[in-house]
Amino acid sequence: MEDKIRRIYVPMTESGFYILFCLQEPQHGYGISQQVKKLTGGEVSISAGTMYGTLSKMEKDGLIRFYREEEKRKLYQITDLGREILSLEIRRIERLYRNSKGGDYND
Amino acid sequence: MTKTIVRVFTIADYEEEEAWLRKQHREGWKLMKMIPPCFYTFEACEPADVIYRLDYRNSRQTEEYMQLLKDFGWEYFAQCVGWLYFRKPADAVESEQDGELFSDNASRAELVNHVVKTRLIPLAIIFLCCVLPNFIRFSSGEYIGGFGSFFGGFFGAMFVVYVFLIVYCGTKLRKIKEKYKN
Repeated sequence: MEDKIRRIYVPMTESGFYILFCLQEPQHGYGISQQVKKLTGGEVSISAGTMYGTLSKMEKDGLIRFYREEEKRKLYQITDLGREILSLEIRRIERLYRNSKGGDYND
Repeated sequence: MTKTIVRVFTIADYEEEEAWLRKQHREGWKLMKMIPPCFYTFEACEPADVIYRLDYRNSRQTEEYMQLLKDFGWEYFAQCVGWLYFRKPADAVESEQDGELFSDNASRAELVNHVVKTRLIPLAIIFLCCVLPNFIRFSSGEYIGGFGSFFGGFFGAMFVVYVFLIVYCGTKLRKIKEKYKN
């Protein structure tokens, strides 16, 4: 994996994490935002411009790819590189979580 | 009934412009179109609380972008030199982020960077390569008579406008970026 991409995306912004997480299944921008609201009980809400910007950037960096078009809406899906980044980020969050509960984290 | 207001907002005043347009709508005037550089045409309407937002896309907007904004409930209604104008009724907003185009600081800062790169820097280049050399040439007294004083005055005025715009917009854009720093 390219180190540069890893440096940019780990740690990830909260919106970035949820967008990548949701794209494990093909989805379009508005669908992602609805799913994120549902997943987080409305605590995380991603605005339209941020959604568009993040999707464009992740596509350019090869974390997600165009899946197909549905009524002018572009559907995206995570790539292998995206999955790799996502699992790195999930491991990091697990460590944070365990440490925050007072435990040690040994891989 | 329509009205046209002349008001100047620079490339660094988009947040004030949004607030001003919201206020106009609350007073029963909805923006119909905007003619550069500073003419705003409003149409009388029912007073309502409507949130206005500007995005700077500089002709990078795609069909996908427009559809996405529409899905999020934003009505696109005008554009002006790279700026796109959107609005959404305040009562359709469920969360703070619903009423914004950008929900994180990284994307807010990116907008500022894009404005700096495609508007402020070109302005500075025109200033350095055209306004400044001509201002120096005509103020050195090399050209005398009506011709010389006409262009001298013209480039003198341009010099003042450009210096003001570059300093004002540069400082203000930096302040906006500071405000949204993590």
